[in-house]
Amino acid sequence: MNPERWQRLLEDVTAIDGVRGAIVVTAEDGLVVHEAAVEGLETGDVAALASVVVRRAEAIATASGDSEVRLCTLSAEKGIVIAAQGEHGLWLVAVTEPDVELGRLRLMLGDLAPELG
Amino acid sequence: MRVLEPWLAEPLGELVRESSARLALVMTSSGQVVGQHGFTRSLDVMAAAALGAGILATTGELARLVGSDADFGAVVHQGAQQGVWLAGFDTPRGRWVALVVFGRNSTVGLVRMFFQRFAARVREVAPMPMPDREVLAEGFERELDASLRALFGGG
Amino acid sequence: MSDQSAPQQTLSFLDLGERLRQRGQFEAALSVAQAGAARYPTLAAAHDLIGRILADQGDDEGARSAWLATLECDATHPGALKGLAFLAFRRRDFGDAERYLEAAAAASPRDTSILTALDRVRSMRPANAPEVINIDDPVAGLLLLDNQGLRLAGGLGTGRDEQMADAAAASAAGAAREAERTARLLGLGAWQHLLIEGDSMRTTLLPATAQAMLLVRRPATAPVGRLLAFAARAVQAAQAWLGNS
Repeated sequence: MNPERWQRLLEDVTAIDGVRGAIVVTAEDGLVVHEAAVEGLETGDVAALASVVVRRAEAIATASGDSEVRLCTLSAEKGIVIAAQGEHGLWLVAVTEPDVELGRLRLMLGDLAPELG
Repeated sequence: MRVLEPWLAEPLGELVRESSARLALVMTSSGQVVGQHGFTRSLDVMAAAALGAGILATTGELARLVGSDADFGAVVHQGAQQGVWLAGFDTPRGRWVALVVFGRNSTVGLVRMFFQRFAARVREVAPMPMPDREVLAEGFERELDASLRALFGGG
Repeated sequence: MSDQSAPQQTLSFLDLGERLRQRGQFEAALSVAQAGAARYPTLAAAHDLIGRILADQGDDEGARSAWLATLECDATHPGALKGLAFLAFRRRDFGDAERYLEAAAAASPRDTSILTALDRVRSMRPANAPEVINIDDPVAGLLLLDNQGLRLAGGLGTGRDEQMADAAAASAAGAAREAERTARLLGLGAWQHLLIEGDSMRTTLLPATAQAMLLVRRPATAPVGRLLAFAARAVQAAQAWLGNS
């Protein structure tokens, strides 16, 4: 665990225009491990809810006979919650505006999430 | 689910539903049970209430010992198949305690989130406290019996 | 059962059948292949050989059945996937052709011929081109389910049976409930879709009506934007199906 590295990692994510905030969570417990504050939202709420969505997504993948989930994106009218799998049960979660540069964010999360651990 | 007073039903129901609680218990800091979900025997309720109050009292003492300004807020025990969340919260009726037992389809984070909403909702909707009245020994036992009947049916 | 588990002597009938096919002796080749498939019904290569022979004879329906049987034995058999893509291409169903080639590419990522074929099919079929979407087809990778997690139509695609489809439907309903709750409690409004990505597959779940939702499953080689555009069209097809059923 390296809080300084995680902080830099979260700062890279939140530097993308449209990203409201980013956190590192444990999917098992739904708890925040590290955070860059999410505008207008409790990071604990984001962690709790995002982790349940991730677990449900993993249940679909398992039932379908597919490999583990790497990236999970919940798109809604007014925003997006995107979670990328890191190491040791940690996930990198970002909450964004609906018009975020999603392609760029996906690539960044895919590159950065494996550094969690 | 059983509650002593009707106004508690909605917030406790939401806590149970949203956190997927298997068991839930709400009591005053003196151990009087004001609401429960999932328990089938009054003995279990009494035991859980007593143990929960004891745990919080112990951790409160531990907090004082280590120089913490306030108590630790919540105590969580996490087992392989289920977990226990135990926390005190302030209400217009004084300090209350909530105990939530949850399984694998829930998480500590989720319980924490909906407990906070539950506590806020209780503070919002709880009627003002009744005036204090002296509780004599026989009155206490009568009130306890009445509470248990209310919580397990039969009025 | 994959080819590796068959006894060594089975390869002789496969070899003979293939030689006969290449010499244009289709009837003899088919006879050898069918005898072999009857003796080793779980041998993917036997069914694949039948598929190739029937395709050469112009019996597309027979070839399709044979290649689907191949995939029952080996869900990622590249020959069957390429064969099915070829048949789809021949009937100008570029959507199906693309889907099978994507699956083949996922199974054989180093096969450049597949990638070349995939590029060609995609160039012939723009992302927003209309296509026939068959909600009832279990191999189309479209799974329609109700709010209670009961499967209404479709399936998970090639190599995934009804039991798995039912299990996925049950899980998807729970995921949809959590997606709705998360979007609502975080103030994000109505949820639109949940995209789930792994190393081999991409799956998206979307609401179709107030009582039903659609799961769309594709190999990971399918471009995400294309998948989402296709899913949106599939939802319209699902709504029509629900209206008519």
